[in-house]
Amino acid sequence: MKKNKPMIILFLTPAVLFFLVVFLYPILRTILMSFFHITSITDGIGEWTFRGLSNYINLFQTSLFRQSCWNLFRIWLYGGIIVLSLSLLFGVILTSGIRFKKVFRAIIYLPNIVSAVALATMWLQYVYSPKFGLLKSFFTALHLDSLAKIQWLDNDHKFYALLFAYCFGMVGYHMLIWCSGIERISPEYYEAATIDGAGKFAQFRFITRPLLKGVFKTNVTMWTVTSMAFFVWSQLFSTVTADTQTIVPTSYLYIKMFGAGNTVTDRDAGVSAAIGVILALVVVLVFTACNKLIKDDDLEF
Amino acid sequence: MKRKVLSVLLSVTMLASLLTGCGSSSSSTEQAPEAAKEETAAAATEEAATEAPEGTLVYWSMWEATEPQGQAIKEAVDAYSAETGIPVQVEFKGRTGIREGLEPALAAGQQIDLFDEDIDRVNSAFGKYLMDLEELSASNDYEATANAGLMQACRDAGGGTLKSIPYQPNVFAFFYNQDLFDQAGITAVPTTWSEFLDVCQKLKDAGITPMTMDDAYATCLIGYHLGRLVGEDGVRAIVTEGKWDDPAVAQMAKDFEELASKGYFSELVGSNVWPAGQNSELAVGDAAMYLNGSWLPNEVKDIAGEDFNWGCFAYPALDGGKTGTESNNFGAQVYGINKDSKMGAEAFGLIMKITKGEYDQKLSEMSIGIPADSTNSEWPSLVACAKPVMDGSTNRYTWAVGVEANEDMTPIIKENFIKLIAGSCTADEFVQTMQDAAK
Repeated sequence: MKKNKPMIILFLTPAVLFFLVVFLYPILRTILMSFFHITSITDGIGEWTFRGLSNYINLFQTSLFRQSCWNLFRIWLYGGIIVLSLSLLFGVILTSGIRFKKVFRAIIYLPNIVSAVALATMWLQYVYSPKFGLLKSFFTALHLDSLAKIQWLDNDHKFYALLFAYCFGMVGYHMLIWCSGIERISPEYYEAATIDGAGKFAQFRFITRPLLKGVFKTNVTMWTVTSMAFFVWSQLFSTVTADTQTIVPTSYLYIKMFGAGNTVTDRDAGVSAAIGVILALVVVLVFTACNKLIKDDDLEF
Repeated sequence: MKRKVLSVLLSVTMLASLLTGCGSSSSSTEQAPEAAKEETAAAATEEAATEAPEGTLVYWSMWEATEPQGQAIKEAVDAYSAETGIPVQVEFKGRTGIREGLEPALAAGQQIDLFDEDIDRVNSAFGKYLMDLEELSASNDYEATANAGLMQACRDAGGGTLKSIPYQPNVFAFFYNQDLFDQAGITAVPTTWSEFLDVCQKLKDAGITPMTMDDAYATCLIGYHLGRLVGEDGVRAIVTEGKWDDPAVAQMAKDFEELASKGYFSELVGSNVWPAGQNSELAVGDAAMYLNGSWLPNEVKDIAGEDFNWGCFAYPALDGGKTGTESNNFGAQVYGINKDSKMGAEAFGLIMKITKGEYDQKLSEMSIGIPADSTNSEWPSLVACAKPVMDGSTNRYTWAVGVEANEDMTPIIKENFIKLIAGSCTADEFVQTMQDAAK
């Protein structure tokens, strides 16, 4: 094909300019900001004070930030295991030819279209309520009094209460990704396997699982990206003042950027930028690790 | 050749559409003044995201349009526009909208003539954008009918000069259920810690849970107690300089350990996530007392009902304490005028409309809040109980008496203090944990 350089340049210029201005400039500016002390996000560069790497060093020396990273790691790991395995299970069941598939799929996906604020209020003020909550009523009906007495939102249980509520809303989304991956696999493989005498579990183990490697990678990356941006649920589970059990790096970033609670506290957009850079690096790291560890290009189907 | 021409045409079309997309807002603002001429002043007050035409006052509000405060303010704004013919563009941004969006907008030079938020945030975080209001206040004789304590608080927060105008005053104190107090035979509110313990015991003896708390306000409890002992400066020193070995901390921890061990706190205090405590315990009559702001009766009125018999008393004084019941966390929302506003006098006029006379009274009634105009001496009945506390407050504490001044410590203080009042850690453990955390 004949290449027409002026045309290529003409067509690419708007997109390249758009990318440079809207994506690349903020990224570079954020990286630059992370080396400075900046009181307000709107301060001009002349008002910045150079700090070198001290924003990063101070962050890792602050126990609250380390706690927020630990919380996020647990959300990513435990939540990832729960959400990805549950969503895979539902995905496999829904694509196995069961009746009312569309109804079940809609039900499982439903929490995704309900506002997080409404969902969190339901969990906080109803499901976990130690006075009239769903869990209390459920365990009381089963005469499991020790479980019925648990205060799910006290310091010992709050993190897991948050994690469970969050996972509840995330299963449907990842289930759809699994479904799309499973539906790509030709039914002929399963028919052949059935004729050869393979049961459902063997079919999953030897056909579905190996052919879903690419989708698994997509799911892990998507889960990592959404986990790094975990914010709303943290805010909803600890209104006004942050909480050691629900704080995550993004909520710590918010505190540093806009101040904490009702008291006017020191603000530092530079520290917030450093947190943003750290989170971005984590996503890149996980994505690279996924690419190295999971090879999906050895199978063609 | 034909293909080349077509390609060029397509490229030009694409670029043009891109530029049109980028330029749409400027073209709409060009049309705006023409359109505005035909609009009535009242209609122009409607919330709009477009740039305001010249001669229009732009007000960014911390309220939502659906809140009672937002509704009352909207009425005042409409009345102001009708009287003066000055169109006002109100943008109800909400608390988060102001906190996140106001400063970038001001820094970008967007036309915002006046805005409102909490007294401390306006004067510190937005301080460099504020117009000095001393002259406007004097020429309008504003202070003749204003709360002197709050005006002074605004001057203190503004670095010695008046840069904000207070409205919707509030005071932070113990709110209680008078019917439960009567049931327990309590005839006077406690003013000292020993009287407070007596009140708790009487309630307990009558089978009533003396008090509850929500996680969001737990820091106010520890802040008030420490503040009574060492004053706000002392509290700030403890949390920002890590002086958790101060004897006041140990005494505070012992006092709350005693309250917890005697069962004066609700059993649910360890797991109450706001607003569980205020809604499902205090408002329904399951607990008698709750430390909160004077906005509480409004927040729980739909649950508690109009006939809820509210009472209020200042946080009790402590033996040997540095401050007494005259020191309280009282404050207000405040209005600030943008120093770059070309309509400062008009903006001040609108502030007068909202914070004086009829509309101040209306705002107070609709939001069950405290009036700012001293001639509006009638407080809404649900919040009238807070009047003696407000009137008796001569020394101002800031929020939570400064205990949240160190943002890196606040969640740790909150976690361990809630454990202390829930009885899941001892006073000594609390002090030790805080000392370790501050290292």
